[in-house]
Amino acid sequence: MFDIIAVDISGRHKVKDGYFMVCAAVSASVTADHVEKVNQIAIRTFRSRSAPEVPDVVKMVEETVSELKFSGTLVTEAGDFYNKPQWLIDSMFSHELKYQESLSERRCIEIAHHVSLSSRKLLLKELDIQ
Amino acid sequence: MQEPGMSMMRAILVKRNEPRSEDEKNELQMNELRELAGAAGYEIIGELTQTRHPDRKYHLGRGKVEELAQIVADLRPDKVIFHNPLTTMQIYNISETCRCETIDKFQLILEIFATRATTHRSKLQVELARLEYELPRARAVISLLKKDERPGFMGLGGYEDSYAQDVKNRMIRIRKELETIQKDNETLRAHRHSRGFSLVALAGYTNAGKSTLFNALVDEAVESKDMLFTTLLPTTRSLNVQGRDVLLTDTVGFIEDLPHWMVDAFRSTLDEIFLADVVLLVVDSSEPLELIRKKLLVCHETMWDQLQDVGIVTVFNKMDMISEEELQERMLSLGYLAPDPVAVSARTGMGFDELKASIHDLLPEWKRITLSFPMSEEAMSLVAWIFEEGVVHSVNYEDGISIDLEARDKIINKAISLVKTLS
Repeated sequence: MFDIIAVDISGRHKVKDGYFMVCAAVSASVTADHVEKVNQIAIRTFRSRSAPEVPDVVKMVEETVSELKFSGTLVTEAGDFYNKPQWLIDSMFSHELKYQESLSERRCIEIAHHVSLSSRKLLLKELDIQ
Repeated sequence: MQEPGMSMMRAILVKRNEPRSEDEKNELQMNELRELAGAAGYEIIGELTQTRHPDRKYHLGRGKVEELAQIVADLRPDKVIFHNPLTTMQIYNISETCRCETIDKFQLILEIFATRATTHRSKLQVELARLEYELPRARAVISLLKKDERPGFMGLGGYEDSYAQDVKNRMIRIRKELETIQKDNETLRAHRHSRGFSLVALAGYTNAGKSTLFNALVDEAVESKDMLFTTLLPTTRSLNVQGRDVLLTDTVGFIEDLPHWMVDAFRSTLDEIFLADVVLLVVDSSEPLELIRKKLLVCHETMWDQLQDVGIVTVFNKMDMISEEELQERMLSLGYLAPDPVAVSARTGMGFDELKASIHDLLPEWKRITLSFPMSEEAMSLVAWIFEEGVVHSVNYEDGISIDLEARDKIINKAISLVKTLS
């Protein structure tokens, strides 16, 4: 079993006059093909006036992951870092990072995606931002 | 696939490499294109590569395309095959400059599928994939072909919409027909499940040795070659796994960058994998570690969204071609991508017992029970029926009949109720 932290960010497109983003980090224990246990999920919101660049995304991920009690390898989609090479992005993090590979890593990112997307939708509704 | 005596089609392979991409990766991709061209029956008479960002008009640089045109004029190939996906505009421009038919990798894959499609269903699938590929290009193709001609009074009418609509209508018709066939197959699958057969499917990258393993496991003679896409139609045979009958299915292999519309078009072929109880993910362990990793990655990427609650066994095939240390190193390094690894050799039969044990562990659970009932004629026919439907571990005929059996729930329940009526 491996401990991973799957991360996904929703809302990287302009709404009204800014960017309202939600980053979700899912800490889980996985095997190659199964998610054995989801340990904890952390969510954080971020606002910005301009479109996020790679360093901004790195900062958002680091901040969200720092709220977790569990450790593990960070797993993200390559698209979250504008398809930059993995070694380049990995060097910008204090944690170990890799792009998604196995079935279970993809499944965890799917969970993170649903969490970030639905919580962002809820926030936009509650704050009346459309 | 080439008829003996027929001259092979000749092709020039072209690839654009991304700047700063790894040489090793580029070479692997080129090698795969060579194998694909070989599988489609082309003789490769020339190769050309360029490292640059894509050009909108020609994909390669203009100078390189002119160089390609010169090579085409000298060597006179039947086709120019690009590794990279091309837009209709690029295909048109390159064909015009080189005066030679130009296709990309997806069209090449479609050609292979088209030449090997033998059944009605696979022909429909190939046609659907071809139309899906053609749809976004339909308008552009017509605009290019009818550049100087507009139908209708004073040339204000248009061909584009009617042609694109025609393609759409044909796609709808084929989808409907495929759905009917798929329903028949689903009924067959449900029937197999209800008969107590569990379904096991072979999956893996193309040319991993799935058909060879299939032949060795079920003692069959399905066509297997050292060639990409030898298998295009799923073949199913019965296999005995530690007393339980399962149905083993050989399927079409995966390939890198296979577009999603193609996966959809061949969905009914891939359904054999998605609806199986156990998937055997076959990898060629004689290949370099990095290559195995990349191929496993493609398999995970193709399957992940469709698989639900399925046991996966990773089969490291061709273990006889590498040393024990190399095998252990590969299995260890790929642990995070290879669930339940088992090493086998389809050629020598090594490791088959371990493989069957792994399959058995992942099959839907059967219950074990001991039944006792008095001896009679009906009791003997019940024993015969139990032997047919489940696995009998022991039978004792002293003082009535005592039978220790393992079977799925439905059979156990039926047996218990039959025993009640007997006693």
